[in-house]
Amino acid sequence: MADKQLESTLAAAAFQKQWFADLRRRVFDERAPYALLQADVPFELFDLLDIPAVSNQWWASLVAAKRQAPAFLDAMAADGLPAQLCRYCSLGLATTRYAGAGEAPWGGLPKPRLLCARLTCDCIHRVFSLWAEAFDTELFEIDHPGASELPPRWWEMSRHRWRELVEPHRLEFVAATLERLVSRLEEISGRRLDRGALAAQLERVNRQEEIFDAARQLIAAAPETPVRMTEQIANVMATQWVRGSDWALAHAQTFYDEIRQRVDDGVAACPGERVRLMWVGAGLWHDTDFYTAFEGSHRAVFVWSMYLAFGPDGYIRYGFDDPIEALASRTASFNEYLHNPPWAAEWIVEQARAHRIDAALVLHPTSMKAAASGRKFIERALEEAGIPVLPVEADVVDARAWDPAAARASVCEFLDERVAQ
Amino acid sequence: MGTDAIAGLTAGFEAPFAALGRKAGADRDAVVISWPSVPVEVVRATGFRPVFARGAATATPAADEVLEARVFPCRLRQLFEAVLTGRLDEVAAIVLPRTSDADYKGFLYLRELQRQGRIASRTPVLLFDLLQSSGDEAAAYDCGRAGDLLRRLAGLARRPVENVGLQHEISRANAARAAARRLAALRRPQPRLSGAEALTLLGAFWQLPAERYATLAAAAGDEIAARLPIAGPRVLLAGAPVDSTALSAAIESRSAVVVGEISPFGSEAAGADVSPDGDPLVALAEKYRRDAIDARSPREAIWRRLEAGLAGIDAVIVSLPADDASFGWDLPRLRLALETCGMPYAVVDGDPTAVLRREIRMRIDTVLAAAAGRCEARYG
Repeated sequence: MADKQLESTLAAAAFQKQWFADLRRRVFDERAPYALLQADVPFELFDLLDIPAVSNQWWASLVAAKRQAPAFLDAMAADGLPAQLCRYCSLGLATTRYAGAGEAPWGGLPKPRLLCARLTCDCIHRVFSLWAEAFDTELFEIDHPGASELPPRWWEMSRHRWRELVEPHRLEFVAATLERLVSRLEEISGRRLDRGALAAQLERVNRQEEIFDAARQLIAAAPETPVRMTEQIANVMATQWVRGSDWALAHAQTFYDEIRQRVDDGVAACPGERVRLMWVGAGLWHDTDFYTAFEGSHRAVFVWSMYLAFGPDGYIRYGFDDPIEALASRTASFNEYLHNPPWAAEWIVEQARAHRIDAALVLHPTSMKAAASGRKFIERALEEAGIPVLPVEADVVDARAWDPAAARASVCEFLDERVAQ
Repeated sequence: MGTDAIAGLTAGFEAPFAALGRKAGADRDAVVISWPSVPVEVVRATGFRPVFARGAATATPAADEVLEARVFPCRLRQLFEAVLTGRLDEVAAIVLPRTSDADYKGFLYLRELQRQGRIASRTPVLLFDLLQSSGDEAAAYDCGRAGDLLRRLAGLARRPVENVGLQHEISRANAARAAARRLAALRRPQPRLSGAEALTLLGAFWQLPAERYATLAAAAGDEIAARLPIAGPRVLLAGAPVDSTALSAAIESRSAVVVGEISPFGSEAAGADVSPDGDPLVALAEKYRRDAIDARSPREAIWRRLEAGLAGIDAVIVSLPADDASFGWDLPRLRLALETCGMPYAVVDGDPTAVLRREIRMRIDTVLAAAAGRCEARYG
């Protein structure tokens, strides 16, 4: 694994490990409730009602990074689950349902009091209801109404004009569901949600994302990227799961300061950088070294992924007299922003231009239907913008069919043949 | 009359989508729908004729250029092929329901292709955003979306639609449902029509005018009731809902008979009536929310149908095409249930509209051989 270049990356990893250990202690020793959530659920509501929340995607990425995924995925296959079903969203389920098949990181997930998921792609209801059965616990579902109107350049509207971005009937529906969720969480926690505290929490989330926005601009503008994409992801995601907390804000600032210092000192992630790459799709968690593999041979460095960029553009909401409605506006369209035409393609092209991207690697997920869709539009838009595209067929948590050497050779060939250096 | 009725129903199932784009001016009353989770009563109340895109074995080269592999079912590839080759240029509208993510993506893709000018057609593309989750807000939402669909189609038709017109269509469709239920009853306990034929005759419910369907289905039922029962192992089709007769025909070419399928084109075409009382939009939204069968339908709702469908069955064939993201999750549960009662089963993991691979044919042969033993023991 590539050495970490930023102190903040090491601090983020240490925080997450300690946070999870504290969670297990609270759950086992103090019988405190916790929740298991899909990544796009509003964590803020759980936080304010003192129900710590674990992200399914974070957990899956951790299992994959610890090289434990194959054992659990083999157990799924042995149970008859077809290989085409989404492994990213279901790897966590596998660590519960087939607990004996492998060694889950850090002692594994304790039984949650509640599971909560947005019903984005078709598998989510299935995966989470099976998971709730496996844990013998309850599931709260937030349905995902479809968007009929998708105005152009969504990221220019999302901060101040978010009411225009989400059709009123969708906004009303999601807000009503979140109100029902709040009622359920209040019953579980025995506390009342303080709406003023929620507004203050959202203000802090805004502040955190503003810091990340400034970090993004530093990275985009620096002559050579000062921070590797993998370290961007590690820092951003550690804070996203506890967004708005004192630690998250402080860590975001530390991360920014470290980047600022590197820019001021002229320190590059890959000195002599010649090719700036973007990664389109979820992270390749089982082989994160892939992202630094072309620095030596081609001076090619991954500059951009959605993880840092989406925080500021997707999360910031200004002017909320009703904080639940603001949360609903963020929650309603995550998938459309990231995957679907027209929104995903135009945002990614805009980001590529802002970051002076030379070439894009686009994930073709082998089992994630939601993330697999929309990519032909994205690839076409990038190519039309003059940015060569290399499709990368892979599963983000399943290394069993991944050939690291062949994948690296394919990228090298692409860089040699299609990317001017 | 019975034979004519069967021919009429067959044409009502097979012909409408294939006929689109063949004759100038003939399609202006057609609303093309991607899956039967859209209330046909609403479409008909606005004076339009519902036509459904279904899976077929024909190639879809134009669609394959814009649709990712392993994400979109064959029926959506056929719909896109028709759009991209100009066959749907004259239809009144295209409606896709939210009951699967592929349909929602299909809606977004079509709108974007129009916006980019990659398809010349300006045919309105509409989303019927039917949600099937529990919770009072979903029921209210669906009612609002049904009203929105009615308003949009009425706007395209340039005719006002009042509740009485909608209630009239509900009554007609309920009469057609009753006829479909009588037809479906001829499949069990003694099957008097093949599964391929049943899918055709029941599936015609969605496209034929309701009164015509009721008349033809009644006449066809009279003829079929006089037939001798079909011998052979009785098969249930489970997994992703089928929308073509190809898989049933392949199974039935091996001396078995498909007596049920968890599909809105087959056993579940009619379902329960729409309540004739109260606000018709509320009643329609409730009926389709509860009865729609698609990738987003609640697990337990599908499971209840499956359990009911297992009565009197000798084998189960589970269709799980590569685009399935939903039904495969309950395969271990289904396998356990079937193994517990000694029921033979096989998984068909290819496109159910295409010619089956040799390996799958052999799998089916093995299952049907085991089922024949069960059938022999049961019926002699």
